[in-house]
Amino acid sequence: MEPRLLARLLAAAALLSAPLALAGPCPSGVAYPGNEGWPSQVEATQTAKAKEIAALEDYAFTRTGKDAERKGIRTDGVVIVKGGTLIYEKYGPGFTASNKHLSWSVAKSFSSALIGTSVQRNALALDDSICTYLTEYSGDVCRIKVRDNLTFATGLAWQEEYEGKQYQVSSVISMLFGVGHADQLKHVLSTKFAHDPGTQWKYSTGDAELLSAVAKRALAKQLPGEEFPFWKVMFDPMGMSVAFEEDVKGTPLGGSMVYATPREFAKFGYLFLHDGCWDGQRLLPEGWVKDSTTPSNVFLTTAPKTEDALSGYMWWLNQPWPQQQKEKPWADVPADAFAALGHWGQRIYVIPSLDLVVVRTGDDRESGKGLDSNTFLKLAMAVAQ
Amino acid sequence: MKKLLALGALLALSSCTASDGDVLYANNDLVLVVGNAARMTCSCIFVMNMSEDYCRAWTKASPDIARFSVDRDAKTVEASSLISWSAKAKFIDDKRGCILQ
Repeated sequence: MEPRLLARLLAAAALLSAPLALAGPCPSGVAYPGNEGWPSQVEATQTAKAKEIAALEDYAFTRTGKDAERKGIRTDGVVIVKGGTLIYEKYGPGFTASNKHLSWSVAKSFSSALIGTSVQRNALALDDSICTYLTEYSGDVCRIKVRDNLTFATGLAWQEEYEGKQYQVSSVISMLFGVGHADQLKHVLSTKFAHDPGTQWKYSTGDAELLSAVAKRALAKQLPGEEFPFWKVMFDPMGMSVAFEEDVKGTPLGGSMVYATPREFAKFGYLFLHDGCWDGQRLLPEGWVKDSTTPSNVFLTTAPKTEDALSGYMWWLNQPWPQQQKEKPWADVPADAFAALGHWGQRIYVIPSLDLVVVRTGDDRESGKGLDSNTFLKLAMAVAQ
Repeated sequence: MKKLLALGALLALSSCTASDGDVLYANNDLVLVVGNAARMTCSCIFVMNMSEDYCRAWTKASPDIARFSVDRDAKTVEASSLISWSAKAKFIDDKRGCILQ
């Protein structure tokens, strides 16, 4: 081949593989919050929906017992966005609209979305080995594909235990606060395999943290010298103020340690309400939201029946589970609802058929007595009707 | 005295074997207690922007045997328990929040 022709072909190939962040049609006629934040009709709703608001607050904001005992439902904030407008917000004792709140496992849905953004920008492919990005690793862990990681199916024998069990057994507590805290990626990837990658679903904060590390490395490779790749590709375009914590090695703690205000968390839900587009810019690939909110095959066939909601790409779905003869988990809520869910009652609910995003932050520590999604959403939907 | 009894209970607990073939991590409970207190208090104060009183209750773990001190100039939180266990977390910036050192 003639050298000049070869050079032109190579140049064309380079152009085709460049980031395509603006490609793909986005839904039209959607209003997005600008620098001034969400447009508000909170006062109008207070008048028009006083009875419904009273019922919602009676359920979500009534505290029981002594404060220090942290009993029952303890809501720190609720935000409802309907049709792109803030129609309701309220905060619990000590919190205001400007206080960021810990996400706990809501962070997992952020890590998943950042993989989506990486795919959109051609920085990563789901069938790649994680070692394509985590180049210091070799051997068995390289059998894990990004897709396995995205669907909680790394096969690692992760021990997802919290406060209720002996601390030495918990892979999570060891990672965040104990022997694994200084190099959390190493902690995750030192876990032995219990199954071949892609063959067994298992809820794992380690998987989500691994996923965020893969996304960061993939984006850093495409954006050399960029100190904050997550912000560059997702949070800044959305005008989203978020803290995404890391360990001392710079590994993002994408399984649990994201902080944002409820209004900002609502933006993340709104991104998924509108097919991964933000103000005309496609941040997630076409079809990514659909894939994220479709139960993965590995979940449907191998997850334990005790799981409440079905899982897609680290989102939780209000859909029936025929293989286990289970109805949708939130009986009074439309079946297209999906959510990012976190410990102590952190929630970002998205209900596309109602054009609705509902965020709830909380501090429910009493086992089995926290916020019930179906009850809460029924009351929130009444406010939004 | 209560703290010594708590420590005794902790050490007894630590010597238990895991059930169902679970792996036991080589954590001392007090390492976890101070790690939790340092990280979560740092984030509570400097990221969530809540008061120290609030954060003391927010980060309270069981057993409640950690103390912490806040350096607002250096934006650090140091947690300690009994005599020889301590951990330190530092606020880096608004994007990265706190890091457990």
